[in-house]
Amino acid sequence: MNVLLSVEGLEKSFKDKKVLHGISFEVHSGEIMAILGPNGAGKSTTIRSIMGILMPDEGSVIFHNHKGKGIPRNKIGYLPEERGLYKDVRVMDILLYLAELKDYPLDKAKQRAMEYLKKLDLEGKEHVKMEELSKGMAQKVQFISSIIHEPELLILDEPFSGLDPVSQEVLKTEIRNLAKSGTAILLSSHQMNLVEEMCDRVFMIQRGHKVIYGTLEDVKKQYANFKCTIHGKNDISLLEKIPEVVRVEQTDDTSILYLTKDVEAPKWLKTLPDEIVINELTLDRVSLHEIFIDIATDKNLLKDSERQSLEEVGGTNA
Amino acid sequence: MRNSLKVAKWEIKRNLKNKTFLISLFVTPLLIVLFGLLGSLFGDDHSEKATVFVHDELGILTSMEAIVEQADLDLELQPTDINETDVEAELEESEDTAYMFVNETALTEGKIPVYTSNDFPNVGQLQILTQPIKSLQLQELGLTEEQMAAIAQNIDVQVQSLDDLQGDTVTEEQLAAGEDPLMKRVVPGIFAGIILLSIIFTGMMIFQSASQEKKDKIAEIILSSVTPNELMQGKIIGYFVLAMIQAAIILVFALGFALYKFNDFPLFEYLLQPQLLLFLLIAVLGYLLFASIFVGMGATMSDISTAGNFQGMIMMIPFISFFFIGPVLSDPTGALAKALTYIPFTSPTILLARLVRLDEWNWLEISISLLILVATIWLMMKLAGKIFKVGMLMYGKNATVGEIMKWLRT
Repeated sequence: MNVLLSVEGLEKSFKDKKVLHGISFEVHSGEIMAILGPNGAGKSTTIRSIMGILMPDEGSVIFHNHKGKGIPRNKIGYLPEERGLYKDVRVMDILLYLAELKDYPLDKAKQRAMEYLKKLDLEGKEHVKMEELSKGMAQKVQFISSIIHEPELLILDEPFSGLDPVSQEVLKTEIRNLAKSGTAILLSSHQMNLVEEMCDRVFMIQRGHKVIYGTLEDVKKQYANFKCTIHGKNDISLLEKIPEVVRVEQTDDTSILYLTKDVEAPKWLKTLPDEIVINELTLDRVSLHEIFIDIATDKNLLKDSERQSLEEVGGTNA
Repeated sequence: MRNSLKVAKWEIKRNLKNKTFLISLFVTPLLIVLFGLLGSLFGDDHSEKATVFVHDELGILTSMEAIVEQADLDLELQPTDINETDVEAELEESEDTAYMFVNETALTEGKIPVYTSNDFPNVGQLQILTQPIKSLQLQELGLTEEQMAAIAQNIDVQVQSLDDLQGDTVTEEQLAAGEDPLMKRVVPGIFAGIILLSIIFTGMMIFQSASQEKKDKIAEIILSSVTPNELMQGKIIGYFVLAMIQAAIILVFALGFALYKFNDFPLFEYLLQPQLLLFLLIAVLGYLLFASIFVGMGATMSDISTAGNFQGMIMMIPFISFFFIGPVLSDPTGALAKALTYIPFTSPTILLARLVRLDEWNWLEISISLLILVATIWLMMKLAGKIFKVGMLMYGKNATVGEIMKWLRT
């Protein structure tokens, strides 16, 4: 795959607070890469640095062999998290204006606008003022505004927030189609199920540090351990004594046992004591959502040694 | 620059499609003309003629009518046979009416009984009507026609001012021919003043536009395509054009009104003077200075309605100079006028006012003032750019003075 965007060692401070610590990653043509992190982790600062809206103190952003101010902005589409459009303006007018700012021919822009309005169930809304649209509809128009100029790189910051499930599905399909047609997509979202469903690779940032970087499968394989869910009434102290069990979560008659890294699941199953009541048992890898929660809430994670081990995941998969 | 022009074009197009802007575009000049008309409607305009009924026992009514016509008095004379005893009852039901009794008593004692309604406006003009009686008195004394003419002639005090002696006094003919040097400065000055005011007021919309873009959260989308400086410049250019459209419409209304009110006045001859170019330059420089302040301040606010004291005070800067207009016009060469000419935030208005008042211009003063103004515009644009760049991406709260200062230092 072609490397379209390369972010190298980004450092950024606001006042005396350092918010980015040497952030590096690549985005390839035709892939959907997730950029994840809890609120305030540094995602928006990273994205704004890529867009040239903020200038990093150190490091560089390379797009198509262009650096810094030389990056052709008209090849990039951007849907920021804090977004809106002029309320007193008609849908088509605003779409054409944003296309014009990207140097995209207006006749083609009009054609694409009509095409996407139809695809996103907004047919006939081209002459409606933005203030007359529902929140979900307005968000779809914002999405169209970010892709109207056929960008090679599309940066989407929380594209699904505020959308109903049906609209989410429509948008997911369009994003996938864009990736299939070769557009590189950098997607930031807190909806881990959607990320897990859509993304090829994941970059996770916590307090300005890279903590995870790699393909979804490898990240889950290497970072995420197995978890065993047992339905049946059991004493928690008994479950905690089982070898390779790190942590137990229990609600009513259901217990979730988190296993250590590198455990061989089939062998481990054979070590379960006979006195455990098992009505039903499932063995899974933990979800991306759980990994995210673990990282976001684990304060010790940022200790140097642990960060190093996590970065190994990125190192092996980058 | 291309991107700035795209932004400018958008701002013009967007506002020209906006109902509120369109209404204000035409309502503002209409209000100006309306206030002008109201002034003349409610002013002391007694163009309607008062009626004077003359009980003429001396046969001089024709002479009196001749005087009314000659002196263009606002009186209409009518003969009457009414007696003095009936006058009171007549006047009770009349307005703007007088009864004059011209009889032997008037001729011998020099006293003419006149009875007027309470609101009679032209009492002073009645005195002029006594002239034929005076002539009759002189005839009674047996004077010759020549002697009578000499006595009847008024004795005038002939005053000559310094301007008269220096030949600077403008005759009515010169004024009508477009040769009054004061008018050659006043008319272009008023023209440039209207433009300056119009562009300052329309320029304030930049402030609204910047803060609205923050409120609507579109700033980041725009800034992903253009640089903050391009966006700022585009707004300044766009609103300048909108201001010129507003000024043009005001001037069309104002010129139409002026031509209607003063139809003999050679307005265009006085307007199209070389000094108009300098006045317009001053107005444009004033706009650029204040526009940079407005656009920068707009970016520091999350919402126009939440303007804090600091922002409010900054927004008042363009209007400071108007407090000094009176003293400057009464003493355009005084120390205050000179000092305010060199202060960039007051110089556009003050310089304009002084140049209108002064017969001779001090070009050194003008050059220094303009140089200071241009340098300040450059500096303010730089500072506004710094504020705009950071401020536009700050959501949810107004920037504090400390924060603004920090942005300026970076």
